[in-house]
Amino acid sequence: MANSEANKLFKEFKIQSVSEFFRRNAAMLGYTGKVRSFTTIIHEAVTNSLDACEEAGIPPYVRVEIEELGSEHYKIIVEDNGPGIPENYIAHVFGKMLAGTKAHRNIQSRGQQGIGISGAVMFAQITSGKATRVITSTGGDEIIEAWVGIDVEKNEGKIFKKIKHPNPTGWRGTRIEMEVKEVRYIRSKQGPYWYLKLTAIANPHAHIELIEPDGKLIVFPRSSEEIPEPPEEMKPHPKGVMTDDIYRMARRTSRTTVRTFLIGEFSRISDKKVEELVKYIAALRLIKEEEEQRVREQLLKRLAEGEVDKVLASFGKKGKNALKEAEKLMEKPPEKLTWHEAEEIVEAFKYMTFLAPPTHGLRPIGEPNIEKGLSGILKPEFVTAVTRPPKVYRGGIPFQVEVGLAFGGELSSGFDVLRYANRVPLLFDAGSCVITSAARSIDWKRYRVDDLERTPLVLLVNVVSVHVPYTSTGKQSIASEDEIYEEIRLAIMEVARRLAKYLGGKHRKLYQVKRRKIFEKYVPEVSRALSILTGEPEDTIKNLLIKMIEKKFETVEENKAEADGNA
Amino acid sequence: MLKRERPKERFSYDPRKVLQKLEEFGKEILEELKAGRNPFIDVPTRGLSNVYFDEKDRVIKMGDKTSRRYLFNVAHARKFMQTLLIAAYIKRLVAEGKHASLREAYYANKHTIPGTHENTFEDQSESDPIIEDLERMFGVLREEMHITADRRGYIYGDIVIKDGEDEFNASKLGMGGWAVPGTVEHIEFPEINVDYVLVVETAAMADRLIEEKYPKKEKALIVATQGQASRGVRRLIHRLHYEEGLPIIVFTDGDPYGWYIYSTIKQGSINLAYLSEKLATPEAKFVGMTMDDIKKYGLENVTEKLKGIPPNKKGGPTGDYKRIIEEMNYPWFQNKEWQRQLKLALKWGVRIEQQALANKSLEFVAKKYLPEKIANEELLP
Repeated sequence: MANSEANKLFKEFKIQSVSEFFRRNAAMLGYTGKVRSFTTIIHEAVTNSLDACEEAGIPPYVRVEIEELGSEHYKIIVEDNGPGIPENYIAHVFGKMLAGTKAHRNIQSRGQQGIGISGAVMFAQITSGKATRVITSTGGDEIIEAWVGIDVEKNEGKIFKKIKHPNPTGWRGTRIEMEVKEVRYIRSKQGPYWYLKLTAIANPHAHIELIEPDGKLIVFPRSSEEIPEPPEEMKPHPKGVMTDDIYRMARRTSRTTVRTFLIGEFSRISDKKVEELVKYIAALRLIKEEEEQRVREQLLKRLAEGEVDKVLASFGKKGKNALKEAEKLMEKPPEKLTWHEAEEIVEAFKYMTFLAPPTHGLRPIGEPNIEKGLSGILKPEFVTAVTRPPKVYRGGIPFQVEVGLAFGGELSSGFDVLRYANRVPLLFDAGSCVITSAARSIDWKRYRVDDLERTPLVLLVNVVSVHVPYTSTGKQSIASEDEIYEEIRLAIMEVARRLAKYLGGKHRKLYQVKRRKIFEKYVPEVSRALSILTGEPEDTIKNLLIKMIEKKFETVEENKAEADGNA
Repeated sequence: MLKRERPKERFSYDPRKVLQKLEEFGKEILEELKAGRNPFIDVPTRGLSNVYFDEKDRVIKMGDKTSRRYLFNVAHARKFMQTLLIAAYIKRLVAEGKHASLREAYYANKHTIPGTHENTFEDQSESDPIIEDLERMFGVLREEMHITADRRGYIYGDIVIKDGEDEFNASKLGMGGWAVPGTVEHIEFPEINVDYVLVVETAAMADRLIEEKYPKKEKALIVATQGQASRGVRRLIHRLHYEEGLPIIVFTDGDPYGWYIYSTIKQGSINLAYLSEKLATPEAKFVGMTMDDIKKYGLENVTEKLKGIPPNKKGGPTGDYKRIIEEMNYPWFQNKEWQRQLKLALKWGVRIEQQALANKSLEFVAKKYLPEKIANEELLP
């Protein structure tokens, strides 16, 4: 097929099916079901606001307003105090279908779908036919009011109408208003209210408000002044990449050879490692040519054991030639790398050993902030949090687990698990999520929680990673990777131990009060009887007894304080 | 012939002794309190684990295990309080010369503790053990502390009894004799005209002997226990033997229950091991009924079958058989005579009642059986 023909076909394909694509991939984009679609829109808008504020170092103030216009017909308004959007970028921000930069970046991010707010604009456009109204200012002299939509023919944002207003008060921020249909607002654990509440818990530096369709104002106030640092991009680790990643990255890179491309764009790959990689590729090629399956398996086994030099030597001259061939691969320009060659590299990576990937780019919420978030929103009696050190799963993908625990206070009875991936609440598919199974695997009785279903207990679990392994395209539940499961368990057990200790102390205190009462109630009886037996006045004995009890419990409390101090 | 011997103990009742002990007890606790220490009382442990058979004195005795009860201990506080309440109550009783039953002691001390929904005693089963504890702690009978036991049993015979201000002859009160009170501590015996005491298990047999004028003819004091001997009766028997030198002869049914009555009178009981020295009479002897009596007096037709399953049958031994085997293992039954009787009972599977002797004639027991056996000293140890 001629190249020009292909281009033309591809172009037509794009024109016809941007909205079709949207519909087809509704599940992947989070727009399935009337409740879920609503939550997704809120999620995209709020995420945009939080990200923008964080990048600009502004403590976020986000206000979500929902008006009911008719049956399954709403107006959604999201306003923030972020840096605002420069006039030229408005169309880009709200209309960049599939052109998302995040999707292919090796960075921990809130945005999971890659199309973000433009998806919401698209959804509004498809369901209500209305453009999204954007009011924004960077704090300068003017406020821009624009109506934005998606040009489905060009697959890009389009501004239908734009008005400039003066900005005498220096207002800065962004307000978007969109009309949507085919959605439903429910105050359930999968609706916007719950989503915002969970978002507020995981983002204690944000002030979030919600005005529900019935006019009720709900405020999740800021409980921390600390704005999280933006995540850093981390180079992918050889153990964590797939053929597609290498193939795509090779096409985008500005490096001139595959060798410099591998060294420069991946972590833990040095010159020496490339030499090793060449040997492995050569060996693998030779092994594949081997006819006898038994011999093949044996050689692969030896390769896995690191005997690459011996394996190559066993092929004699053939080995040397293969090595030279493979060596050539490294000197190719990266954009010439074929799919098959990328496959060979990935396969060789599997047999090689690398240093664990760097983890500095991960941005957990942090123990103090989890505690602040849980305290500020849930008002529990006891709160604690654990952020585990970063770990690696599948040999090369760094991740980190953190768990917060809230108990008692204003919590209602019952056990609740708040699931997060990179701070984003996961509201759906709880049953298949590794967080749920890890939380359920804990023997809570060992931690003084006898009746879990009736204990006011909330667990917050946040899995942080540049690449969270979701079970499905819906990205609402995390797959059961052994390392992640184990980390979640360890973190939960740690906070559970702290809870047990707290409950133990509480019991002890109650027990002390009870003990004291036992002694006190017998004072009149004992003093009267002793007075009869000894002739000593009753009151004298009574005072003696009361003094004894005072002294006894003073020392008990002192001892306890000492013990706590030593702990 | 049986004759009165020299007394080994003296009349020892003295209420001041008890009062003194109670006051000392209270003072010790007060001293501890004043010294800022957690007051405690040491209570001898009850139960089989703290009981042993003293081979020398031949009575069941209490061991020296004690448990310490602290006032300021959550697990002990209530009992400590209860012990003090009862001790104070007893002090008043003794001081005022009044007596109370166990149940009266319970009701007198039961009240709601101010500011709580808790009673000082919820049940008599709480106050009775406290009284037993005090007996053990002070080594005094509850009768000495003016808490009376249930009364049961009576005596008949030519002795003069001084009970407070009353003085009377126990053979001149009619055929019913003198009912033994719950407390016999204060009873004195100014005149004794009998040679020995015959302790009889059943009232019917005692009445038979009285009607046959056995006490007069044989110069015996009849003590009817009416089943298991009450504490009053046991204390009375003990005092008659040790303070008045009267030999004690026991006459019960020939069955494990009767032999156990004998055993209790002689060696004391496990429950009241701590009081054996005041209640038991190890010198007591046993006249009947025995298994040998069946053969000797031709009573084969008036025996009864033992109850329960024999040891050689499936599920056995139970009932009487089990009881007999237990008795065979008692240290004080470890002698040829008793082992023989118990083995015969097991072998024949029978028991013989006192009143089976009526098969011969009504007078037989009074005219022939008892006088002959006692005169010939055909007695079991």
